[in-house]
Amino acid sequence: MPLKQTKDLTRLADEELMHVVQGGDPRAFEMLYDRHGGAAFSLAYRMVGTRAVAEDIVQEAFLSIWRSKVRYERARGSVRTWVLGIVHHRTIDALRRNLVHERRRASAEGLEERHEAPELTDVEAVRREEAREVRAALSTLPGEQSRVIELAYYGGFTHTQIAQMLGEPVGTIKGRMRLGLEKMRKEMTGAVA
Amino acid sequence: MSRGHEDYEENVGAYLLGALPELEAEVFEKHLENCASCRRELDQLRVASEALPRAVEPVAPPPELKESLMATVWAEAGEQREEAEKRRRTAPRFLERLPRLSPAFAAAAAVCVLAIGVGLGIGVANLGGSGSKTVAALVDHTRAPSGSASLDVPSGGGKGALLTVQGLPDPGAGKVYEVWVQRDGTLQPAGALFSVGSGGSGSAGIPGSLKGADAVAVTAERDGGTLKPTQMPVLTVKLS
Repeated sequence: MPLKQTKDLTRLADEELMHVVQGGDPRAFEMLYDRHGGAAFSLAYRMVGTRAVAEDIVQEAFLSIWRSKVRYERARGSVRTWVLGIVHHRTIDALRRNLVHERRRASAEGLEERHEAPELTDVEAVRREEAREVRAALSTLPGEQSRVIELAYYGGFTHTQIAQMLGEPVGTIKGRMRLGLEKMRKEMTGAVA
Repeated sequence: MSRGHEDYEENVGAYLLGALPELEAEVFEKHLENCASCRRELDQLRVASEALPRAVEPVAPPPELKESLMATVWAEAGEQREEAEKRRRTAPRFLERLPRLSPAFAAAAAVCVLAIGVGLGIGVANLGGSGSKTVAALVDHTRAPSGSASLDVPSGGGKGALLTVQGLPDPGAGKVYEVWVQRDGTLQPAGALFSVGSGGSGSAGIPGSLKGADAVAVTAERDGGTLKPTQMPVLTVKLS
């Protein structure tokens, strides 16, 4: 199965593309960014609320992939999940290191600066449908469970910070996180509660 | 079940959401190594936590982000090429190494490569549409019984050749496959390392030009690569 030039890389599945990226091919890396850079930026921006900080985080995350400081293993799940996991961890680091929380709260930058990706390809349409399903699963949770999940995952707050914010014991917060994820899982997989 | 385990079990959700402080997360990861129950619950709940980034409203990244990223990547790829060139100048001539191999091993390897060459032939296909040339590799089937490989060379032997392999064995713990370019009998690091997937498939882009190269070869080397090959190539692509 000989591979050709850039146009042939487009036919590679993500997992195969990663082999080429880790072999040091800039064209393959560019394709990886084209496939997942948008989702990575959206997640970082959702978490930090400022475009400049989100750009720094995404750039750092992708450069760490390019420089092979983090290596993809198929056992860790899909490439997209792996990339977004790296971005999530780096964003949390940035939030806890640089007081981005304060900047985000003080910033007027927000919804008015959001620009949805213009093209709606088939892949994008599927992803928007997935997004709708995940949001629907989140919306089925009791308010106190969805709140702690959002504060933790998107806000980057620790369980103790959330406990202080809400005036609840840490154990209660941990329990809500676990129960909320379990309920989401059942909702998404159709498992019987 | 011990009280300690129950405490840890409560951390599953917080861990998946990234809500455990760093030290606490490390302690929990240690616990996971020995607790099948927590690992099972973690795997189950991961479905939900990994879906959370997909719920985010899409926001288009600025084009400057990609431009800046790719400028860095191409610059670093260029530096790697220069580094490979420096190594080339100091690398030993590969053919001079051969007499140092045991005569029996060298003879066996030569016969093996010849047999494979006869069995496989050397396939060269000119692909008019892409303007590139695809060359089949000679594979040492004593070490890679189901191995095959090909090299896609841009027209004029330019930069960006792509080596694709299938059916190669895992190079072994702590090892990767390293790509070499042979010129005037000397093997030079091509600046490309790769691993293979479950089916033995993998690919490697060769950043430098193959103009004037006699062959491209692959050996299994320690992770991170070496300056000179430590064994006979598992596959060779003849270019001249």
